[in-house]
Amino acid sequence: MLRPAEPTTRCGPEGHCITCGDDGVAMRVTGMDAREDLAICVGDSGDANEVAVDLVGPVAAGDMVLVHAGVAIARLEEAAA
Amino acid sequence: MKFVDEFRDAELGRALAGEILATVEPGRHYKVMEVCGGHTHSIYKYGVDDLLPENVELVHGPGCPVCVIPMGRVDDGIAIAHEPGVIFTCFGDMMRVPGSNGTLLDAKAQGADVRMVYSPLDALRIAKQNPGRQVVFFAIGFETTAPSTALTLKRAKADAVPNFSCMCNHVTIVPPLRALLESPDLRLDGFIGPGHVATVVGARPFEFIPAAYGKPLVIAGFEPLDLLQSIVMILRQLAAGRSDVENQYKRVVPWEGNLRALEVMSEVFELRPHFEWRGLGFISQSALRLSDAYSDFDAEQRYSTPGVRVADPKACQCGEVLKGVIKPWECKVFGTACTPEHAIGTCMVSPEGACAAYYNYGRFAREREVV
Repeated sequence: MLRPAEPTTRCGPEGHCITCGDDGVAMRVTGMDAREDLAICVGDSGDANEVAVDLVGPVAAGDMVLVHAGVAIARLEEAAA
Repeated sequence: MKFVDEFRDAELGRALAGEILATVEPGRHYKVMEVCGGHTHSIYKYGVDDLLPENVELVHGPGCPVCVIPMGRVDDGIAIAHEPGVIFTCFGDMMRVPGSNGTLLDAKAQGADVRMVYSPLDALRIAKQNPGRQVVFFAIGFETTAPSTALTLKRAKADAVPNFSCMCNHVTIVPPLRALLESPDLRLDGFIGPGHVATVVGARPFEFIPAAYGKPLVIAGFEPLDLLQSIVMILRQLAAGRSDVENQYKRVVPWEGNLRALEVMSEVFELRPHFEWRGLGFISQSALRLSDAYSDFDAEQRYSTPGVRVADPKACQCGEVLKGVIKPWECKVFGTACTPEHAIGTCMVSPEGACAAYYNYGRFAREREVV
C-alpha cells in the first residue's frame, strides 16, 4: 500500500513548498522593522514574518500583500471570485 | 483568513462544477493544461479533477521550477557546495533534487555546509553574519521568484557585501509554452495560466497563445474556486469559438504586471542564449543570468564548475510527464522505484511536481463518469 510521504525539507506547511512551488501567501502588514527595512507581516498561521516590500511601494499596517520567498510581489485588493 | 476562505466554499464549488457540466459539448474531448506546478498541487489537494466530467482532461505543464532543473546544474551546485569555506544556501526542495552523484542533502551529510533558506534575503543575512565565509545562493524559479533574487542582489550591491554570490538558474515561462505548442506530441484546447508568474509579468506575454495558436488562456488563482472558475471561462470561450487571454485572478494580477519588479529584474538579469530544461532539452532565451553590472556576484564566475551535461536516468519519464504526453502513473517507475522519499525523477521531488502530487493524493488511476 502506497502512503503519502512525510515531508523532510519543506519550506511551508502541509508539505507545500512555498518558495519552489510558485506559491504566494496572503499576509497582513502589522508594522515595519525600520532597521532591516522590512515589513512585519502575519499570514494564516498567525506567525510574524519579515517581508521586503520594495516591489509594492510603501505599506501601512492593515494592508494585505501577496508574499513569495520573503518578498511582497503584489498588493491584494478586495474582489469577489 | 480573508482572500482564502471565500475561495474554498463548497456550495459555490458545486455550482461551478454544474456550470462546467452544462458548458461541455457531449462527445467532445477537452485537454486543458495547467501550466503551473502550484496549480497541479491545488488540483489534487482539493480534488478539483474529481468534479470534472470525464471528457475534460487536465494536463500538467512544466511549471514546477524544481522539476525542470537538469542534473548537470545540480552537479555544478554540489561542486560549489564542496568548495572550502562555502556556505551553500537554497530552497528546501532543491536540496532533494538528484544530480548524477546524489543530492545537496547528500553533500551536506558528507560535510558540505548546505543550508535551507526561505528567501534569498535570508542567504544575504547569513553572508553578513559570516564575513569570513563565502555564501552562495542557488537561485531557482520562474518570474515569480526572480524578483526576490534580483532585490537581494540589489541590496547586496548597495551594502557592498563581498562574500555573497548567486548561482542563477531562473527560467522564464513563455519559451517552454511556445515549445509545447510547437510539439507534435500534444494537442491542447486551452491553458490555465500561471497566476503568480502573471502577477509579475502581467497578461501581455501570453497574448501570443490565442493570437498565433488560437488557444484560450485564463490566468487563474490557486484556490479551488479559482481553478473551477477558470475552467468554466476556458470552456465558455471554446463554446463561443473565441480564444483570448482572460484574467480570473484579478484580485492579485494587474494586466500590466508588477512594473517595479520587472524594472529590478531587467537591471539585475539578462537572458541566457540557451538553457537546458529537464525533459524539454535546450530552449533559446528561456533562462536568466546576472547582467554585467552584477557579474561580481555571479557564483559561476567566482567558482569553476564541471559544467557537464548529464542525461536523465533511462527509467525516468519526467520528460514525457512535463510535456503532458503521459500521466505520472503511466511512468514505469512511478510509486515503485521512484517515490518522494527516494526520487529518481525531479517530478517526484517537489510537491508541486505532477508525480508527487499524484502520489501524495492517491491518484494512481481513476475512472470517472462519462458525459
